[in-house]
Amino acid sequence: MTFTLDRRFFLTLAGAGTGAAALAACGGPSTAPGTAATAAADIDFSGVKPAASIDFWSNHPGKSQEVEKSIIEKFHAKFPEIKVNLVTAGANYEEIAQKFQTAQAAKSGLPSLVVLSDVWWFRYYLNESIIPIDPLVRQLDIKLDDFRTSLVDDYKYDGKQWALPYGRSTPLFYYNKDHFAAAGLPDRAPATWQEFAGWAPKLKAASGAQYAFMHPALAGYAGWTLQNNLWGEGGSWSKGWDITCDSAESVAALQAAQDSVYKDGWAGVSSKESADDFAAGLASATLSSTGSLIGILKSAKFNVGVGFLPGGSKEQTGVCPTGGAGLGIPSGVTKEEQLAAAMFLQFMTEPENTAAFSAATGYMPTRVSADMTAVLAKTPQIKTAMDQLAVTRVQDNARAFLPGADQEMAKAAAKILTQQGDVKATMTELKATLEGIYTKDVKPKLKA
Amino acid sequence: MTPQLTAKPGRSAEPAATGRAQHAAGAAPQNRKRWSSRSRRDFVVFLALALPNLILIAVFTYLPLINNIYYSTLNWTLGSASAAVVGLENYVTFFTSADAGKVLGTTAIFTAATVGGSMVLGLLIALALNSKVRGTTFARSAVFAPYVLSGVGVGLVWLFIFDPGYGVLAWILRSFGQQSPQWINDPQLSLVMVIIVYVWKNLGYCAVVFLAGLQSLPQDVLEAASLDGAGGFRRFASMSLPLLSPTTFFLLITTMLSSLQAFDLIRIMTPLGTGTSTLIYEAYLQAFGAYNRAGYSAAISVILFAILLVITALQLRFIEKKVHYS
Repeated sequence: MTFTLDRRFFLTLAGAGTGAAALAACGGPSTAPGTAATAAADIDFSGVKPAASIDFWSNHPGKSQEVEKSIIEKFHAKFPEIKVNLVTAGANYEEIAQKFQTAQAAKSGLPSLVVLSDVWWFRYYLNESIIPIDPLVRQLDIKLDDFRTSLVDDYKYDGKQWALPYGRSTPLFYYNKDHFAAAGLPDRAPATWQEFAGWAPKLKAASGAQYAFMHPALAGYAGWTLQNNLWGEGGSWSKGWDITCDSAESVAALQAAQDSVYKDGWAGVSSKESADDFAAGLASATLSSTGSLIGILKSAKFNVGVGFLPGGSKEQTGVCPTGGAGLGIPSGVTKEEQLAAAMFLQFMTEPENTAAFSAATGYMPTRVSADMTAVLAKTPQIKTAMDQLAVTRVQDNARAFLPGADQEMAKAAAKILTQQGDVKATMTELKATLEGIYTKDVKPKLKA
Repeated sequence: MTPQLTAKPGRSAEPAATGRAQHAAGAAPQNRKRWSSRSRRDFVVFLALALPNLILIAVFTYLPLINNIYYSTLNWTLGSASAAVVGLENYVTFFTSADAGKVLGTTAIFTAATVGGSMVLGLLIALALNSKVRGTTFARSAVFAPYVLSGVGVGLVWLFIFDPGYGVLAWILRSFGQQSPQWINDPQLSLVMVIIVYVWKNLGYCAVVFLAGLQSLPQDVLEAASLDGAGGFRRFASMSLPLLSPTTFFLLITTMLSSLQAFDLIRIMTPLGTGTSTLIYEAYLQAFGAYNRAGYSAAISVILFAILLVITALQLRFIEKKVHYS
């Protein structure tokens, strides 16, 4: 094929190029100056009528699809003028976030209410993708003071409330009571990891299980549960916005975790889900979310014990992070949809509904006044999770607020726990990465 | 096809006779006019048939490509309504980061291993299937079947096989008193695991294409070589393999492009991309994973596009010369 480079050809090419460039500039974000998060003004909902139909995006945390459906049915009975469409928007928090972010970029197809995890809501705040719900709290008289303080305060920032707690959890220490009995150990969780290290050889010898303990899967939320190990030894991922993962205390904590796998050989690292490994009898103990409780109780063919997370040599209490998900209202939908979403949000978090949700999943009841008598009679282990709430600690900023930090922490943990990498060097590298994320992706968006 | 359609407008299809030069000169404008109207009609038909496809390709391929190049010049967090123009900073960040070497290295290893593995094993299987023994029809179907299976399904099943806790492979190893390697958690083994599954899934395609190539080889030439005393290996190395070069070239291009764009197996088997983050998966992770760096991700996509373009051009420029088409 031949063609001639003449004036007409060049004019055509130039025209096509200009048109394409113009089209390219039409879509996507605005490039006007000023990218810091602006103070979100309170929206005035007076005189607004709720929308007739709203979409609720959920990943059904803790296999909650059925209980979510039943709560929606109750809502329809109480508010027949509002239809709630339950949409499965992902299999986990990351998938639902991916779908939500994509809808934000496309500026279409947004839900009116969305499940947002502990590591995602802050990004939605930075991107102005969700609204502060304070005016809706006032208008609908949502009883914030009846929510468990530590759970509702997690979504406070810049003097505003950005979401309400929904499927909230903490990690729990799960143990195989039969294995513990066979090893002659007390029927309780260890007070410290040092105590468990003393128990582990007996457990391994007596139980026949592959491991005395199974570290949670790194591809899951390694950064979440490892805070327990770090805090127990006086370390942390960060203090405020200062990254401290390479401090002597943090390195010592992760060194102990590595030793449990390589030097002492009593611990394994789960490939997919440590709760499944534990329920299958591969390990005598593990850490997993309270949201795994009902699933473990259903599938385990042995007596399951639960306890508080063990402490370390420096801290024995206050070593348990909160986690899980809340519900937020997107900024890109109409006021009518936002109001209807808030009405449904209020209904979802009412005491009897949070109790029903807790009973079905093992997640924490988010309301103080929730009557848990029937739930605790059926599943007494939930009481341990509820009691542990009193000794929880707010997550490190680096884990909860830095985009991609969880992934970087998981990669670092993989290097330490599955490749026997040098702990100090790995943490130094992680620190540089996390500081880079903060400097580039978060600091410019924070208000001075 | 009529001569008028192939002739260039303004030139007569008939040879100009010397005695009719003036007549020809006078007829030329008429011919041009007649052919122009025909050409116009043909052009309308061409447009009617091609334009819908051209519009679709422009809207769904070229426009996103141009958009992507534009986004690669932005510091844009996915989901944010605003972004800052940063020029080539995303490209500079990528090429100066420690991750660039890892990602490009992983891409190179994955591509070389999957292309090489699929083609070599595919050729060996094709040679086996080309022999006249019973059961080759069933074997052909069995070999090709994984290629048409869903990558997601294949990934999930193989994950179960490789699971070091309760996977089939771990069970077999335990029965011999061995521990299973950490296929999923160890980044290096993760890459090996994904390569094995990718090759398993795709070698059927190479086998079937190689088989078609083997069956179209001129038998008389091979028989002549045989009569001249060439052994089986000699016939394969000196005759079949060179004669298969068009097939090999075609497979080299298609499998390489496919490997560079492999996504589903990596996404299912190693969601965090630890050890398996090829260029395309890194682009996905940066935008849609935990980081939400849409601009940076777009820059990685443009780099991948450039690499694909260069590889294809090099293949066409240098390797095609060594291909025997007859």
